[in-house]
Amino acid sequence: MPATTVEDLLRQLAPQVLGAVVRRYGHFDTAEDATQEALLAAATQWPTGGIPDNPRGWLITVASRRLTDLLRSEQARQRREETVARWMLPGQRVAPPADRPAADFDDTLILLFLCCHPSLSAASQIALTLRAVGGLATAEIARAFLVPEATMTRRISRAKQQIAASGVPFRMPAGPGRAARLAAVLHVLYLIFNEGYSATSGPRLRRGELTGEAIRLARLVHRLLPDDGEVTGLLALMLLTDARGAARTGPDGELVPMADQDRSRWDRALIAEGVALITRALPRGPTGPYQLQAAIAAVHDEAPSAGATDWPQITALYELLMRILDNPVVALNHAVAVAMARGPRAGLDLLGNLEADQRIAADHRLQAVRAHLLEMAGDTAAARDAYLAAARRATNLPQQRYLHARAARLAGP
Amino acid sequence: MKYLILTYGSQQDYDALSGKPASGVPAWSPADFAAMGAFMESFTRELSESGELVETRGLTAPVHARRLRLQGGVPVVTDGPYAETEEVLAGYWVVECDSFDRATEIAGRLSQCPGPEGVAERAYADVRPVAESQAGLDL
Repeated sequence: MPATTVEDLLRQLAPQVLGAVVRRYGHFDTAEDATQEALLAAATQWPTGGIPDNPRGWLITVASRRLTDLLRSEQARQRREETVARWMLPGQRVAPPADRPAADFDDTLILLFLCCHPSLSAASQIALTLRAVGGLATAEIARAFLVPEATMTRRISRAKQQIAASGVPFRMPAGPGRAARLAAVLHVLYLIFNEGYSATSGPRLRRGELTGEAIRLARLVHRLLPDDGEVTGLLALMLLTDARGAARTGPDGELVPMADQDRSRWDRALIAEGVALITRALPRGPTGPYQLQAAIAAVHDEAPSAGATDWPQITALYELLMRILDNPVVALNHAVAVAMARGPRAGLDLLGNLEADQRIAADHRLQAVRAHLLEMAGDTAAARDAYLAAARRATNLPQQRYLHARAARLAGP
Repeated sequence: MKYLILTYGSQQDYDALSGKPASGVPAWSPADFAAMGAFMESFTRELSESGELVETRGLTAPVHARRLRLQGGVPVVTDGPYAETEEVLAGYWVVECDSFDRATEIAGRLSQCPGPEGVAERAYADVRPVAESQAGLDL
């Protein structure tokens, strides 16, 4: 049995096993450790010994046994029993009725809601989600986020303790709070994707493992909530963005802007899947920010060339997005779309408003867009100055190199 | 024992690395920059695979630094406190290995980093033992 097949299977079963163990025994924090140990045992035994007939049952049994061991040693130390009741609702202390539907999938979703609990910081939500739902080892998560393993271990155990201490029950959030909690889950997945897609430092731009993991988790949520437009929108947005990933860098690892990308290197299968998802979601409404961003990405991805891009449609989509999202980066992208649709001067006029916005005034992206639009308008001297100003503000070397190269092309006599 | 390997660069060196035209030192070409990236990646990967790497970081250009200093009892911030040609910390590796000589050998490999003419000749690295405990300080 190849090790990769076993790994895929384990990653898929991880949240189901943890969900089942927590549902039965409570103790989210210790159950999570026990599940990791069961996964580790499987990862070492299965590739040589073969996969058991009921892998999920095997893992639940091993994790439950390990949990009992862990709890016994803990109880001896600090009488943890008293806290058991906190994790178990009265209704959960009796055996569930036999006709209760199989709860594997619901449990995965409950786990996600728990890991993205609003009382946790974004960094903790991300780390806990990748470990408890993604089934990644702490060392792998630490490597992906470039922090020492000890730091990540502490971040994860602190997050688990916070959840245990908050006394959140292990069940689906209900009522009006549910939408906000789902939005938090989607935001965490979006952050994981972006972390992988645009690494904030270092010579390499892309950390593909994280984008892959974000897509895998988004697919999982989409399978559980197939009728939620924003879940579909987020998955489509990730696929349509990742489709351009290979074309974003040139042979020497340099940044290539979308207009100059070799579109034959875009991943047609990902584009087709993303377009199909967003096409089905949009007419169902209500239309949220992820669906609109996915729709914009789809218009880009479907254009046969940069020149053939439907900019008026992209402009209209950004206008809808600006109505529901007060975000200066969205406004900046809108200005670019307006420039492409109606000419550079119209775009430059819009940048004027953004210069007063403290959230983006000092950002290199504002100067970079200004530079591109000035270049389009034929004002090479001002464009060159703006490229240099943008490079001065950027902290990422590949971005700086791109901006300096643009400035150098416009060098005067 | 743990050792800290330090490398240095000035704002001018960073400007050259970021491809800034007319920055005093010749700008790095895309090929030079890619070769440096590949070298650093394999250097760090080998250290990680041998189990000797504890941590490594590269720092952004000195122009992004802030300096804090007490003035009249309050901390006052100065942005970009370094001169253009002043060489400051650019990156570091913490390695854990058997001897000072082994740490020195590791640092020596950095001299093989590819780059434009003359860069390797001007560059240098320092190796400093980390004071981890009282015993370490008594050495």
